[in-house]
Amino acid sequence: MPDTAGKSKEDEVAKQVPFQQDHIRRSILVSYWVVILLALPLWWTTTSISRLSLPEREVQAEASKQLTFSPRVLLDSSHRDEVASSLKDILRSWSLSDTFKLEFPSQKHSDEDYVVSFDRDTQSKRLDGRQLVFGTKDLASPQIDAQLTYLLSELIAGNFARRVDSTTVVQYSPRYRLSFSLLNEDASSQGYAAGWDVENALAKYLKPVLNRLSILHNFTIESQVQFHAPLAFAPEQVPGFDDVYGLTPEQLTVFVNSAEWTLSSGVTVDPVLHFVLFIPSASRRPLRILNFDGTISDSTAFVLPQWGSIYIYNPPTESSVFQLSADELRPAFSVFRSQLLKLLGVPSLPTGVSASYTGPGTTHVSDWQLDALLRKRAYENAHGSTEALTSIVNLVDQIEGMPVSRDVRDDVGESLHSLNKMFAVASESPRLALQYSSKALELASRAFFNPDMLALLYFPPEHKVAVYTPLLAPVGVVLVVAVLREVSALRRTKNNTSS
Amino acid sequence: MKLLAFCFGLFAVVRAHDEEFREHLHLRHLDDGRVSALFSFTTLLKDTAPRSPLSIGEDDIPQHYTLFPLALGQVLREHAVTEVHLTLNAGKWDYTRWGYPEDPAVATGAELWAWMGESPSISIDERWKGLRNSLAGLFCASLGSLDEMRTTSPMYSFRPEGSLPLFNQTHKLRHALLPSEHVCTENLTPFVKLLPCKTSTGIASLLNPHRLFDADWHGMGVHVKWDPKTGISVQLNFQTVLDPVRHSSRGQRVDFSLKTLFDREIPKACPVAADSVIDVFMAEGEYNIVAPGPSIMEGELAKFIVPELPMPLDIAVRWPGEASNLFMNVLQYSNHAPASKQNSHPTNIEVLRTLTGATQSYGKLHVEVKNNLDSDVDVIYVETMPWLVQFYIHTLKLSVDGKERQDLLKHFSYKPSEAHGRPMLFEGVLTVPAKSTVRLTLDVLKSFLRYTEHQPDAQRGWDLPPAVFIPITNNNSSEGRILRRLYTPAVLVDLATPDFSMPYNVIIMSSTLIALIFGSVFNLLTRKFVALPVEGPSESEPSTGTK
Repeated sequence: MPDTAGKSKEDEVAKQVPFQQDHIRRSILVSYWVVILLALPLWWTTTSISRLSLPEREVQAEASKQLTFSPRVLLDSSHRDEVASSLKDILRSWSLSDTFKLEFPSQKHSDEDYVVSFDRDTQSKRLDGRQLVFGTKDLASPQIDAQLTYLLSELIAGNFARRVDSTTVVQYSPRYRLSFSLLNEDASSQGYAAGWDVENALAKYLKPVLNRLSILHNFTIESQVQFHAPLAFAPEQVPGFDDVYGLTPEQLTVFVNSAEWTLSSGVTVDPVLHFVLFIPSASRRPLRILNFDGTISDSTAFVLPQWGSIYIYNPPTESSVFQLSADELRPAFSVFRSQLLKLLGVPSLPTGVSASYTGPGTTHVSDWQLDALLRKRAYENAHGSTEALTSIVNLVDQIEGMPVSRDVRDDVGESLHSLNKMFAVASESPRLALQYSSKALELASRAFFNPDMLALLYFPPEHKVAVYTPLLAPVGVVLVVAVLREVSALRRTKNNTSS
Repeated sequence: MKLLAFCFGLFAVVRAHDEEFREHLHLRHLDDGRVSALFSFTTLLKDTAPRSPLSIGEDDIPQHYTLFPLALGQVLREHAVTEVHLTLNAGKWDYTRWGYPEDPAVATGAELWAWMGESPSISIDERWKGLRNSLAGLFCASLGSLDEMRTTSPMYSFRPEGSLPLFNQTHKLRHALLPSEHVCTENLTPFVKLLPCKTSTGIASLLNPHRLFDADWHGMGVHVKWDPKTGISVQLNFQTVLDPVRHSSRGQRVDFSLKTLFDREIPKACPVAADSVIDVFMAEGEYNIVAPGPSIMEGELAKFIVPELPMPLDIAVRWPGEASNLFMNVLQYSNHAPASKQNSHPTNIEVLRTLTGATQSYGKLHVEVKNNLDSDVDVIYVETMPWLVQFYIHTLKLSVDGKERQDLLKHFSYKPSEAHGRPMLFEGVLTVPAKSTVRLTLDVLKSFLRYTEHQPDAQRGWDLPPAVFIPITNNNSSEGRILRRLYTPAVLVDLATPDFSMPYNVIIMSSTLIALIFGSVFNLLTRKFVALPVEGPSESEPSTGTK
């Protein structure tokens, strides 16, 4: 370095110009950075998505709760202890001892209590309201205990223990659409039903049951007649039987020809249960259902799990064009009724038990069955809503860019509220429990399917950064390099002064 | 849930309503050798009134139908619609050659209009939205696009064709046109499923999509109306104009039969049809109608009652004295047409509507209405226009033979469009003097659209809805309340269309500019100037430099 004295003098001259002074230059640089840093929160708040916090802890608490029912059974003191302990064993073997805490009081508290009374003069077992009349004729005491334990366990918790039904039973919905269709396979061949007295048939055979179930579901009813409802396959003659056509079990699975039959309706989102009365074409009568071994089955109807029921009606051969009266529809509608109960999950009575329907409007479904169904539906709904709520919480945790709007938070909160209420009343009244659980499920699913939650998934932050890189990169590089340069200059002057 | 009991109580009392199904095929030989065919399937729900809009929100009574299509019935009940007309057409109906169509609704594309009573619980606009979405689902058509940007409520035109029940509520009209929607097989399949006999028997078995959608003009329509004397009627129409020369098997002749037109015969009569009739309407000329059975002749109309004829049924029309050469015979036919035919015009009124202007911001609308009659004719002129094109009403000029005649347009109402919102509605009564042509011109402004408002196929342009002309006749009582309507062809407008990759280019370009400006300003502010003494002539360093 030649002539250091001269250079420092020049520096002095340069530094007299105000903007050439080090501290001015540095403060310019700092002010740039200050503006950027101050702008960061603004940028953050204007570009971040609204993610309201969800009550995670409460959801977890609710999910870990166990729904417990405590039905009270009034029982004669001579059998009480024995039956109570063996019932407990059965419930434990079904791993339901947390769900059911049976109580055996000596006094009747409310109408919801079950009563077991004994009848020495008969062998039959009969349900009357919430009373079980147990015939003890020719039975020893241990036998009575064993049979009573079995019956009570089946009546109260039977539908919880058997999971096989769950494939047939439709998912709970507060409203179902029941669609009744009379399908003529081919009306242009001779012999077809031109109409049916569906209104009277429904009033006679289904109305009582639907009224009975109205505490669980609302029903919308519709019916139609079709004159050309071809099958997707041609049924074949049964070997060994002339003029009898058969439907094999495999053909039953593809029986519904949804391409040709217009059964479904598009106006509501309520689940539809279909009840089809199928009249085969005159050239293929009688049409019978076959067993797996190829023999002709006695049954004329079959149920399609979670879809509905189909009844095959073979009209008498001599008839041409006919109307089906309410009486002629009786067998079909009896089948529809029992299959409706099956689809809705009404438990069947244990073998050897009959029900007498003395109360008003209690036909076909006894109080015991209805209570069991209410408990089961409340349990399922509670399970479903806690599952939906935990899924929402997990999803929001996992996906950073998912917005949580006020609607979602409110729905989750209200769903939790309903769940809380349900847990409070579950042991008292299965009816109230079902109402709250159904509300909780509805709100939880609404929150889960809220369309707002999808909004920003398609516009991730990486995308924005990529678009603005042409601005951010050149500006950022200049600013960073200037800082580095100043830092190194500072360090050099420090070294110079110290040495 | 008490409602359920109530519903049951109700339907125990209500008797099964009587239903009736009629099918009808009307074949008409057109002056240019083509054949117009109208399939019409009417289902009548007797002694039934439309759902009262006051009951919306409550549980509806159970629906039990035998012949009436359940899927359509549900839609009508759900939205409490009193009267609805839906048509889906493809092609341009040529009034000058084919005359008035049997079904007057021949607008290109989709047209939907409905009369609905007001309800305190759900607004008409909400139900209108529900109705078009339900119908879109039912007929697999994009009727969801008939939104607020296309919906108008004309005051003079589209009066109800049936009656409106008294619900102590006023009825309102909603009307929308979508010329870009076209009819195809996917619309016919659900249409056919609404018929009790589907396509397997009866007249509907002639509905062969290969032939129908190959025709020069084709369209389907659904008309629901109510008459207090009969009940609710649903009329499903399929109208088509076929060219028998193209499908002729014997050397390109104008002869036709059901077999040559539709490539199908009627295999069996529909067992549930109360009435099944084929009409053949022939102009004067030397022809034979060949059919397997007798027909009832009523003037120029031959009537065939389908169930009384032997099956399979085919009806043919032949011109024995005709040459077999295609071009020869078309020429001959038009030459041999009776003199009275040649001079008369098939329609009293002819309309021409064009949009001119080469720029992307301004244009001019020209409408010509020609009266062929010897007396003055009043027509209702309805113009609905999405906000894409805006009218300058003050530039409206009417002239007859070059002379200005502003007095010809009376009673006109105008509802301007809203940008990005509702469409414009222009209605008025136009008097067309005898044997003359009225010319109407109007300056229009073409809107500039937002980037996201362009349709997927942006460069193609926008289809503008047709204008509607409704001649006012004094004796409308004789022909029922269905007024004749003339639809002009749809018009295509070219709006300013951006290059759709432009936003990214703009972002990158402006980012680069800002970065450059920022760099130089920043450099100036923080640059360190150093003075270097120049000590001799050998020193050739620059006087300033950065450090």
